[in-house]
Amino acid sequence: MRADTEQEILKTELWWTALVIAIVTAIMLAIIYAGVVHHINPPSNIETIDPKTLHLTGEFTESNLGTRVEAGDQVTSRVVATQFAFQPQCIVVPSNRTVTLRFATPDVIHGILVTGTNVNTMIIPGYVSQVHTVFTKTGDLLMPCHEFCGLGHSQMWATVRVVPEDQFRPGPDGRASCDAR
Amino acid sequence: MKPAELREIDRPWRIWASVIIVSILAFSVVFGFLVLPIVQGRAAGLDAFTAICRAVGILPGSPAVKQPTSEAKAQPTTQVAWSTDLMRTFGRRTQAGAEIAQGCVACHGEHGIAADPQNPNLAGQSAAAIYKQLHDYKSGSRVHDVMTGIAQGLEDRQIVEVATHFASSARRDLDPTTAEVVDEDVIRLVERGDPSRGLPACNSCHGFNAGGPIETPTLSHQNREYLARQLQAFKTDARRNDIYTRMRSVAVKLTDREIERLATFYATTLSY
Repeated sequence: MRADTEQEILKTELWWTALVIAIVTAIMLAIIYAGVVHHINPPSNIETIDPKTLHLTGEFTESNLGTRVEAGDQVTSRVVATQFAFQPQCIVVPSNRTVTLRFATPDVIHGILVTGTNVNTMIIPGYVSQVHTVFTKTGDLLMPCHEFCGLGHSQMWATVRVVPEDQFRPGPDGRASCDAR
Repeated sequence: MKPAELREIDRPWRIWASVIIVSILAFSVVFGFLVLPIVQGRAAGLDAFTAICRAVGILPGSPAVKQPTSEAKAQPTTQVAWSTDLMRTFGRRTQAGAEIAQGCVACHGEHGIAADPQNPNLAGQSAAAIYKQLHDYKSGSRVHDVMTGIAQGLEDRQIVEVATHFASSARRDLDPTTAEVVDEDVIRLVERGDPSRGLPACNSCHGFNAGGPIETPTLSHQNREYLARQLQAFKTDARRNDIYTRMRSVAVKLTDREIERLATFYATTLSY
């Protein structure tokens, strides 16, 4: 189509403007829907941690990772995202119970989502990312890294194994792992 | 056209653009600071006023739930913590480094190129890698009959000096007669990894300028026997000084045959 007159040019411009506005509106509506119906919201928990000494001190040392039942029957799972794997690579959690997931990274920005659930967070060096959720579906759920973290990013994924509550049997120290079952 | 006429044509555009922007802003403020907090706050058990205050930023968000600090009797995999100060020390080659390196000649060769392929070549290895391994021998995170004793005799400063010394030495020449061997399966593992097994490509960390963890060693020009032995040690958990099981988790998924072929690949092929 040739646009020769001022009128025709204006018409084309308005068309494209309308199209862009429609696309932006559709995206905004999707975000609003997610916010109101699915309760997707930015994390409100700000907790800092030193990424340099993550492997040396306290909570995120290698042997403290994975699922653990803590005081008050609180199920907490700790995972470290590092280039290019999650540690541990499989976590086991009970279904229909509030589970707290805590993530940290010693190197670069990572991110996770658990397929089919509302768990979705970035993992930023220097901060602990915390998510509370209730898993309703049982089975092995895929947890890929969704924030480009380097050349091995596409092979970086872990498994969240959701088991029925009566089959969730932590050991005497409160820990539960995928291997033990 | 005169400027006055142009302004007249522009007028409705200016007015409507302003109206649209202001109304979008107003909608965002009302929705983001009033509607969304009230709706989401209800589910979290917050009253409307608190929810709005938290959305605006007047009140802090959920306080971090104090986690019971781990009673984990963790033997850290390594005592090394990378800091910018430490990284800065890997600077220039010093005479002191060359003198300490004299003590390495018997096993690692005169110029850091080992005669016995069971021992690693050090020439051209990254300073951070050598530093971490020596430090781990010293702290007991990695154990070796000979190296533990040697590392314990070195001060931190000396470890830095000797690591810098070897890092700036020339690497071993590859044998041109073996460099031709092309092993498609292994090249795929090295360059692409195996997503179905969750195996990252070796070169995503070990490749040239790959940007993986700082302590990642250079593998090209290394001895085949040494590489194979280390992969086996990671696989069987005999060696466990890799932070967050980065290598153990990889090695445990490799077959013995793959370990042999990977070791051959890196020892004979110039990959970077």
